[in-house]
Amino acid sequence: MLSQNKTISEKLNSQCMFVYFSQLMDKSVIDSQGELVGRLYDIIVKPTEVYPASANLIIRKGFPNRKYAVVSWHDILERDEKEIRLKIDKPKIVFSERHDNKEELTLRRDILDQQVVDTYNHKVIRVNDIHMLAVDHSLMIAHVDISLKGLIRRLGFEKIVDFLVRLTNRNADYLKTEHLISWKHIQPLSINPVSMTIKVNVPEKQLSSIPAADLGEIFLDLNIKNQIVLFKALDLNSKAKIFMNIDFKTQSSLIEELEPKEVVEILNSIPSDEATDFLEKLPGDLTDKYLSLMENKQSKKLSQLLGYSSDSAGGLMTAEYISFIKGTTVESALRQIKERPYKSEQPQFVYIVDENNHLVGSTNFRRLLLANPQDIIENAAFPRTFFVHLNSSVKEVAYLMDKYKYYAIPVIDENSVLQGIITVDDILSQLISIAWRRLKKIKVKPK
Amino acid sequence: MRTKLRRFWKNTLIFLAVMGPGIITANVDNDAGGITTYSVAGAHFGYSLIWSFIPIIIALVIIQEMCSRMAVVTGKGLADLIREEFGVRVTFYAMIVLIFSNIFNTISEFAGIAASSELFGVSKYIVVPLCAIFVWWLIVKGTYKSVEKVFLLACVFYVCYIISGFLTKPNWNEVLKSSVNPVFKFNKAYLLMLMGVIGTTIAPWMQFYQQASVVEKNIKLKNYKYSKLDVIIGAFIVNIVAIFIVIVCADTLFKNGIRIETAKDAALALKPLAGRYCFYLFAFGLLNASVFSACILPLSTAYSVCEGMGWEVGVNRRFRQAPQFYILYSAIIIIGAVVILLPRVKLIPIMLLSQATNGLLLPFVLIFMLLLVNNKRLMGKYTNSKTYNLFAILTVVGMIGLSVALFFTLFIK
Repeated sequence: MLSQNKTISEKLNSQCMFVYFSQLMDKSVIDSQGELVGRLYDIIVKPTEVYPASANLIIRKGFPNRKYAVVSWHDILERDEKEIRLKIDKPKIVFSERHDNKEELTLRRDILDQQVVDTYNHKVIRVNDIHMLAVDHSLMIAHVDISLKGLIRRLGFEKIVDFLVRLTNRNADYLKTEHLISWKHIQPLSINPVSMTIKVNVPEKQLSSIPAADLGEIFLDLNIKNQIVLFKALDLNSKAKIFMNIDFKTQSSLIEELEPKEVVEILNSIPSDEATDFLEKLPGDLTDKYLSLMENKQSKKLSQLLGYSSDSAGGLMTAEYISFIKGTTVESALRQIKERPYKSEQPQFVYIVDENNHLVGSTNFRRLLLANPQDIIENAAFPRTFFVHLNSSVKEVAYLMDKYKYYAIPVIDENSVLQGIITVDDILSQLISIAWRRLKKIKVKPK
Repeated sequence: MRTKLRRFWKNTLIFLAVMGPGIITANVDNDAGGITTYSVAGAHFGYSLIWSFIPIIIALVIIQEMCSRMAVVTGKGLADLIREEFGVRVTFYAMIVLIFSNIFNTISEFAGIAASSELFGVSKYIVVPLCAIFVWWLIVKGTYKSVEKVFLLACVFYVCYIISGFLTKPNWNEVLKSSVNPVFKFNKAYLLMLMGVIGTTIAPWMQFYQQASVVEKNIKLKNYKYSKLDVIIGAFIVNIVAIFIVIVCADTLFKNGIRIETAKDAALALKPLAGRYCFYLFAFGLLNASVFSACILPLSTAYSVCEGMGWEVGVNRRFRQAPQFYILYSAIIIIGAVVILLPRVKLIPIMLLSQATNGLLLPFVLIFMLLLVNNKRLMGKYTNSKTYNLFAILTVVGMIGLSVALFFTLFIK
């Protein structure tokens, strides 16, 4: 991208290749005749690349009637410690009252002092300064600075504080460590108020690489407006990931801002037990509304799940499982498993049922892989299959799963028709909440 | 009819859920310093200052309503918005003054705790450390919801001033007359007192606290009208309580020509004049108000500063995750408690300093608020309307004039 020669000549030209935005801010801008035009106010960057480069500068003049002018970055002749010299004449520069073009990404308005998401450390941070790299005449955003040192630099005390710290401790951490975060890990949150979208679209990939639980936590750190905007900018997969990992209060404030169609889309793409967890807490009329918008099959499944009490096996189970009618060959079963789209839960268990969905047996992927492909699936089944009933309690389910070392256990109704399965993570979260309550009780008791 | 009733219950329920920030913020206003000011006002000037509470209610509603509107619309705290719109330098200096102002305020709250403990005949060396630990524990171990419930309970205890008001059997006709009939007396003492009464009612920390707590409650735009009601009710409650404090002192101390300097003096002077119960109610009210405010001031400071500087905020984080927050919060409580326990510490200069720093900061905060609330990019269609802006600007100009005047009189004296 930048040739070796250029880099070296740049280095020779100006001592530093890196410059902080705070060092540019409010610098005098001089025209080709040497007359003062105004002061640098803001920089507009092209958000299309991974490291956005400066495109225009905004000059501000006058007080209290401030006026702004936008000048292309190409019109800059040179830039040094003191001032920025332009190639063009002062009369050519048009000043106006406003400069707020909402479509652009600008440093001062959209990044400096604003909250952004650090997708590397999975945190919401506030930008104290912007570290820029001089490349080929223009400037690129390289890092954002979130350190105390950045804060002190902005306040104009950097030299004094550096001096004082050096007096006391030459090797202080403060002097050595730079707390810079690479721009490629930064997701800005500044909002375009017209379309309510985020300006930068590259980093979506990075957000989706964050583990779901962390993503949920980052999300809770944002304020409601940023939450909505960020959420809308994501793809369905990330939306579903976040939705499962935030509390009900945030969920319900989110769906108020979404189209019912979008809500249904999300509900369709999360496991049915998560969807019912959410739906059963909503007011009845809303639940009905979303169910009515769903595909018939899905809504039937969910409304059935909604009918069970939340601490029974019926309330815990999910209706997504893999089952085959007995007599299917192992080969065809394996092929269907490969073709099947999966939702985020993926127990490796396979259930064998008869024509009327009565539970006959169960097996797992390992057994299927090892079996003779031509054989029928019953021959690869476990010698015995344990199950629970719809109204079995959490404790019964947990006991059985522990006893037989199951990762998932099937649930049947009174006619032994397979209804769904309970996976170990669902039972674990139930058990943890029970354990937690007990722990609290013990703590509260006076000694 | 039935649907009407159902709608009424539904609305009431929503209001109860939204209620809190406005009422709590307004009530903290009747802190140790406030009670002292109102007691002195009643003791020295009788009913003649009661009328001033009507403009105070209006000013309080206008200013606090803007805060809660900004919180609901932007979802950000006031310190956040100042940092994002006006840059780090302004925020930094504002926060420095806020820290000092709130440290002085906290010291005077602990002074209130010490005074009321002595009224009950318990040594302040026992009560003050206990209260400091209680305050620290409440916030560090509590969640926003549980803490809010405790605070709302503390608001209920202000009723003891109203009861003590009735115990002194005031002349209601006269009270009513003087509350609608503004009397100006152009002497220095009267004007100073007037400035003091109005000045204690609107302090900079209130805007920060109210906005932060509305944000924390995550109140939605469609429920905003309830939030407004919360502010209005809060402003009325706090001023009614203040009027009763004035009434109690006017009926007893003013009629007998007793002059006082502090709320403690007021309570002691009440004992022979209004009886034991009135004395206990008055003293308990002081204790409640001081502890309540000592909880909120350090919390509000730590929140605003960390918000503005971009440090991790929150009671829900551990010390390691939010060190600045915990250090600031704990330090303010410790300073507040320790200063009061120092022998021979003089309270009057501390109170003056707290008023001076408040007066220094308030103009800036109010001007920032006006700029922010009228910023279309932030507020969309929820900026101030023209008439509202007129009233808001009048209020702000009035408050700024008062606080500047108060600031100078403090030093001329």
